[in-house]
Amino acid sequence: MSPESEVKERGPAPLRQDLALHGELSANVVGFCRLLRDAGTGVGPGEESDALRALRQIDLGRGEAFYYCLRTALAKSVREQRIFDDRFASYWGVWDQALELDGPLPQSQSVPPAPPDEAKQEPPATPSALSVKEWLAKGQKTEDEEQVAGYSPVEVETRRDFADFGSDELEEIEELIASLARALAKRLSRRLRPAGRRGRLDFRRTLRRNLRRGGDIVDLAFLRKRHQRLKLVLLCDVSRSMDLYSRFLIQFIYALQNRYRHIETFAFSTSLQRISHALQSSSLPGALDELALCVPGWSGGTRIGASLHTFVERYADSLLDRHTVVLLLSDGWDTGDVELLERSLFDIRRRAHALVWLNPLMGNPDFRPETAALKAALPHVDLLAPAHNVAALRDLVGKLAILRPALRGSQSPVKSAAEEQAATDAPGPQGGSPAKKRPTSGDNLMTLARQRKQSKG
Amino acid sequence: MTVADRTLIQSKLAEFDYIADAAIATAIHLARALQKPLLVEGPAGVGKTEIAKVMTRVLETDLIRLQCYEGLDTSTALYEWNYQRRLLQIRLEEADHRSLEEREAAIFSEAFLLKRPLLEAITRERPPVLLIDELDRADEEFESFLLEVLSDWQISIPEIGTIQATSIPHVVITSNRTRELSDAIRRRCFYLWIDYPDFDKELAILRAKVSGIDGNLAEQICRFMAEVRKQRLEKCPGVAETLDWAKALVVLHRDHLDPDIVEETLGVVFKDWADTRHMKASLAEFLEQLGIRSKILPAPQSSADTGPA
Repeated sequence: MSPESEVKERGPAPLRQDLALHGELSANVVGFCRLLRDAGTGVGPGEESDALRALRQIDLGRGEAFYYCLRTALAKSVREQRIFDDRFASYWGVWDQALELDGPLPQSQSVPPAPPDEAKQEPPATPSALSVKEWLAKGQKTEDEEQVAGYSPVEVETRRDFADFGSDELEEIEELIASLARALAKRLSRRLRPAGRRGRLDFRRTLRRNLRRGGDIVDLAFLRKRHQRLKLVLLCDVSRSMDLYSRFLIQFIYALQNRYRHIETFAFSTSLQRISHALQSSSLPGALDELALCVPGWSGGTRIGASLHTFVERYADSLLDRHTVVLLLSDGWDTGDVELLERSLFDIRRRAHALVWLNPLMGNPDFRPETAALKAALPHVDLLAPAHNVAALRDLVGKLAILRPALRGSQSPVKSAAEEQAATDAPGPQGGSPAKKRPTSGDNLMTLARQRKQSKG
Repeated sequence: MTVADRTLIQSKLAEFDYIADAAIATAIHLARALQKPLLVEGPAGVGKTEIAKVMTRVLETDLIRLQCYEGLDTSTALYEWNYQRRLLQIRLEEADHRSLEEREAAIFSEAFLLKRPLLEAITRERPPVLLIDELDRADEEFESFLLEVLSDWQISIPEIGTIQATSIPHVVITSNRTRELSDAIRRRCFYLWIDYPDFDKELAILRAKVSGIDGNLAEQICRFMAEVRKQRLEKCPGVAETLDWAKALVVLHRDHLDPDIVEETLGVVFKDWADTRHMKASLAEFLEQLGIRSKILPAPQSSADTGPA
């Protein structure tokens, strides 16, 4: 946003001169606006003029009114309010002092306004939050950086495994992930409003079409039926074996959650936690702080089955329906009950529109779904897809969009109720109605092989 | 005169039982004085929508409400042609010998226009309060469209031309932050964040809104709510829940909290099954902390010395 150089040029010292030169309120307000802008808020000329106009409306003698007035006009979100509060006292405190001194300010740095650089740093974090941030920043592999030199960075990063990123590259990858999440959100919003069958009569278009006939309605136009948008439920494995990946996936989820409204997120290692609320924080560090508080078993062991079972028991009724795609992010290294996993997956799949397993290990050419958990899971997922780099995530955007019509075609609406009943009555996963076309593990393996071939070629 | 304005607003709001702190009063005052929309954000149930309602009463004008939802489009928010009437009109005029142009002009006149909230709001003589509720629920496309209306105060209808605002409405936009609103909308508005009220404010709200509430009970309720909001809950209870609960307890003729009544009425406060379960499990301990104990003897109605230390 604001380049560092600019900040340095217009650091504390010139600001103080400003204060000394103009004892005028308006000049100081403009100076304050500049400070806020440098601190990363979106305060622009519009806000400046608003603030000045607003100040004319209040009693300047009352400090409290002055404060609220400026804040209402200048800080346009919770985040900006926080920055505003940070800066307010130090800036106007100096101004008060300047008046008391009654003359040019001495050059001593006794009470300088807070240096703008500090704005970019996060507010002091709690110990538990720090650990997550460190976790986010750890895992450097310097040799990879050398390899990368000379390539177009974006292209290379797209193909690189998340696990190989150094901490200094986090920002770039963050950008990339955020833009991808935006694309996915947009795609989901737009794509899934297809033209339907006959619905309500569209008077506007009907009339326009038939106007030339002098009001005889021959040609009817219908409103397109609006399909409900795709909803997403993310179940994210944050156990130790996923460490290298989940720190990127969390960013992906955070970016997605902030863009797309129909999304619920859960994290699990040995137990399941709903983290949607935590991710709604207005900044990523804020979200991580929240996460640190509410996810106890971060980087612990894995019990996918038990965690998914909790999901089915507690949340499936309210969250799953025919418009919901469940994304399960996990490497499938499970130490828990495989049968429970199988049953839970079966339950989820039956109630949701589709179940997608994203596995970061699939990026490895030698990957085979050989862990017990994965083998058991294969018959119950609609798609097993890699999620180890940006390219894979991008791929996923396309796949999610395709997944839908394909599934829709395979279920006739009349039949499905009866089928569902059959599935409910069935004692185990094998009892599912054969009429309902589910990909078999064979299909999944085929997909896998094809993908592997592509990635090699 | 301007000095008095804000305090005037504050006291006027209080007259209508809306307890506004300085931040709220300032925001309302500035939005009104500078004719800018006011964007109000905050958790559910803290009285965001209420601001628009009470503003309407203070300004003695009308409230026009646009409830946002997904898929909200121009024909619901702005205007729609009255097609049925137009069809009839065309039929009636078949024998008419007016020229085609004249007839066409008649069909595309304002007489056949159905005003939806936004158009309605800018064409009133006396500026109404326009409440755009839960804007975060509408699509992003609608947001950018709204921006156009809010910046130019005009609406263009292809068949007629541009309709200029006859008066600029007092706009209140609320959002529950289920998604982030665009920067453009934020820049256009004054911003107000309302958080859960602190103890004193909530007590004032209770006293104003629930007639006949026992002072001791009100204090206990507010202390309970303040403590509850520190817990990690799925659905944190807002002021609306506090009021519901207080009203329920008043109807039950209670003048203090005790563990039994709290447990019985837990459903009024907690709207999520998991939260209810969580609170039930730790209720005794929780109330102990607040100094609310069950009595060994059944309390007679007259016992007044029930206040916590």
